[in-house]
Amino acid sequence: MDTFFLSLALILFGTTVSVLFNRQFIFMKAATILAITLGSAVGLTSVFSFLYQTETVQIVSWPWLHIFTLSFKMDSVAAFFLVPIFIISPLAAFYSFHYLENTAESVKSAVNYLFYAVLVVSMALVACSNNIPTFALSWEIMSLSSFFLVIYDYKSKPTRKAGYMYFIFAQLGAMFIFAAFALVYTHSGSFAFEAFSQIPEEIKLIVFILAFIGFGSKAGIFPLHIWLPHAHPAAPSHISAVMSGVMIKMGIYGIIRTYALLGTPSLAFGQIVLVTGMVTGVLGVVYALGKQDMKKLLAYSSVENIGIILIGLGIGMMGVAVEKPAMAFFGFAGAFMHVFNHSIFKTLLFMGAGAVLHKTHTRSINHLGGLIKRMPTTGKTFLVGSIAISGLPPFSGFIGEFLIYYGAFQGVHLTKENFILSVLAIVSLAVIGGFATACFTKVMGLGFLGEPRTEAAAKATEAGLSMRLTMIVLALACLLIGVLPEPFVRLSFMGIRDLKIAGDFSPEIFVVLINNIAKGAILFIAIFVVISLLRKMLYMKKEIGAGPTWGCGFTKPTVRMQYTGTSYAASMIDFYRPFVPLISKYTGINKIFPGKTTYETQVTDIAELYIQSWITKPLYRLLQKLRWIQHGNIQLYIGYIILTIVALLLFL
Amino acid sequence: MESLLLYITALLVAPFFPAVILKTKAFFAGKQGPPMLVKYYNLIKLFRKGSVYSTSSSFVFKLGPTVSFCSALMVLLFFPIAGMPPVFSFHGDVIILFYLMGLGRFFTILAALDTASPFEGMGAAREAYFSTLAEATLFVVLILFYRINGSLSFVEFFTGPQAINMLGNHGALLLLVVVALFIVLLTENSRVPVDDPATHLELTMIHEVMILDHSGPDLALIEWGSFLKLFFYSSFITCLILPFKTGSVFLNGVIFLVILSLIYVAIGITESIIARFKMNLVPKFILTSFALVFFAAILTMEYVK
Repeated sequence: MDTFFLSLALILFGTTVSVLFNRQFIFMKAATILAITLGSAVGLTSVFSFLYQTETVQIVSWPWLHIFTLSFKMDSVAAFFLVPIFIISPLAAFYSFHYLENTAESVKSAVNYLFYAVLVVSMALVACSNNIPTFALSWEIMSLSSFFLVIYDYKSKPTRKAGYMYFIFAQLGAMFIFAAFALVYTHSGSFAFEAFSQIPEEIKLIVFILAFIGFGSKAGIFPLHIWLPHAHPAAPSHISAVMSGVMIKMGIYGIIRTYALLGTPSLAFGQIVLVTGMVTGVLGVVYALGKQDMKKLLAYSSVENIGIILIGLGIGMMGVAVEKPAMAFFGFAGAFMHVFNHSIFKTLLFMGAGAVLHKTHTRSINHLGGLIKRMPTTGKTFLVGSIAISGLPPFSGFIGEFLIYYGAFQGVHLTKENFILSVLAIVSLAVIGGFATACFTKVMGLGFLGEPRTEAAAKATEAGLSMRLTMIVLALACLLIGVLPEPFVRLSFMGIRDLKIAGDFSPEIFVVLINNIAKGAILFIAIFVVISLLRKMLYMKKEIGAGPTWGCGFTKPTVRMQYTGTSYAASMIDFYRPFVPLISKYTGINKIFPGKTTYETQVTDIAELYIQSWITKPLYRLLQKLRWIQHGNIQLYIGYIILTIVALLLFL
Repeated sequence: MESLLLYITALLVAPFFPAVILKTKAFFAGKQGPPMLVKYYNLIKLFRKGSVYSTSSSFVFKLGPTVSFCSALMVLLFFPIAGMPPVFSFHGDVIILFYLMGLGRFFTILAALDTASPFEGMGAAREAYFSTLAEATLFVVLILFYRINGSLSFVEFFTGPQAINMLGNHGALLLLVVVALFIVLLTENSRVPVDDPATHLELTMIHEVMILDHSGPDLALIEWGSFLKLFFYSSFITCLILPFKTGSVFLNGVIFLVILSLIYVAIGITESIIARFKMNLVPKFILTSFALVFFAAILTMEYVK
């Protein structure tokens, strides 16, 4: 593990140096990016050497503060989750080279890089933590550093609000996680992770549920997802990319880790995770469809993908419980594969949205249009990302979804509620897939194609070189994984190696299946090439005209006649009406000579709505009644402290 | 080799069958109807023309027809037409094929949105919505088939001793599936009562309005692709109905063609006796198919234990 720690030290050291030299803006950026890239490269070599040389689990520990031991452990699950951290982080840092170009704010950028490095390091430490204090410490550093990254643009009010909200949800989640840990500690009296499996069975379920809620709040499960659509748009785009692509996966990591540590194949675990996954996935994509703000839409789409991952995990856990190795194996492998894939295409999409925001200064799809002609590289890579995230072959998203489908189909032979759950899992995957297609044709078709709706969109220019290069690399990765999935599927097979979920189940025959899919994808590409060539031949020596779009009798069409994102999604949103209340404001026509009227609709998130009206407001009212305790009199405050200490000494 | 020949034959005869629908509709309207080869004339005419492209559109507009045509070609490559082994097949191919059809739809929608026309946007939104619902039905059908014969590929569904058809143990359930698939067929191929390609009122159309701006060979590819898609869905239903397998390949083929034609006639009859639904009723219509197959899937709970 020495190389692993060396890589973390490199990342931290590089950025600290660059903060000192923040006056040389270009140098600072270059030095930071170099340090993060070097560090990640070293980290990747250590991870891959662990994964591919089938080394045994490595543990390192140091005593700290006399009471705690800092203990780190590298096993296959940790190593797998380190892969996206070390791949995406340097790419996002590289992207930021042209994204953060305001020289006047060089100090701010330097501080941003510092926290970025801390985030990367803390995420890596979370993945490797091997006892309760180490985990809690790394987890909190991760939440705090990302909080500072979210409030980068601290002068704007919505950003501060988003940061505050993120902070609350991060701490709320941490509270649940620590409650779970505390419960384990009271029953085992040990900080070691090994103690988890020794607690009584009935406590295990409570521990799992508490941990699931806590980690779920980080991952963005429904209804704890509401910080995502606020925090992601507020943060700079490379930060949203890392947060959405990598950081929220640490929540998934926590769920898997807790499950593995508890070591009980209870059916309830799988059912809870699966049902939450279906709800999260379907509602996530419906809300995504309803949003016109590009980054908000992408944030909700992350919620949807977390749902897909949870469906995979749920299927896997159920497979373990009912002793169906194939089901367990494919559920977990599919979830891991989707974790990896999502980190790639979501990063790509956030970077695309960032490029658009950078050049047009708007995030609203209804104010964009026609960008693919003005920003060809961004447009094409975004198209690739859209296909990949919709889970369509021959791109990467399909591979993970296929594995999950396959696992779920194994569950179809079960009986009673497990059968129904498997059926529902497959149906929700299909529905999520369909709506994801609708959602991303909306972003792509209305944001990048057609005619520009506003001046800003019409005058957009292509993004900077470093931004374009990162997007091209990520888009190629999407295609590569889709066409040559075998090494990547093997990577996720290796990731679940130490989970020991499937006994001596051999995945080799299924590698053949994956290769068949790859062959199918290649066949499709071959047919596509042949047909394209035939099409070219058909058009040879023929008259090709250009004219305006047929307007059906309109002689003077304007760009404002185009379909908008709102109207595109309207009927689909309507289908989910009870879950997606529409708030519309209409001033109406009420005078003989009517003045200006306005009409406005907004898609609301029921989780946000009900948390506000059922939890926040009653709590606020209750606490208002206790305000007299806090009056500003310092002597009385000291009195409170003394009283508390006395009370504690007496009663404990 | 035989399968490849059969495949090519299928590609070539697919444009013939829509004329059966036209003839049926003409019969109900008391008219003579167009010649049986009308679709071929159309295709040839379109292939010989040039194209006009909208100045609003980009390269995505030109990709649309090609991708959707390719996805239709792919699906038939894996489908056992008339019970003959297809050109390719592997375990799990149905999932990738339905998703490839999704890819075709993805590009059709993008091509429609690329023209910046409000009508095409409207069609695109409906296509995205309705096909999602239809896809849910298709996946429950797959669940049911997987439960009946434990396979995930067209070949294993329809050939071999365990082939799924109405003579088997689950014949009664398949009746529900056939009705549901017929509804999906009407939806996915933009037929009445979901969509009416014959009207020229954009507000009522779905698929036709999305391809308003395509012309020449591009339009021909779209048309041909849609004939192939219709052929695929009809063959899907035919394979479920196909009651017996004779020893002779020729006889099998004839029976297949007869049932296939009957399905096209059924489409024609449906189109003649039902008016197009109001748009807001269409989702309910499609969800009926979902309910049917879901019911069928639930009914298997007692069988397999």
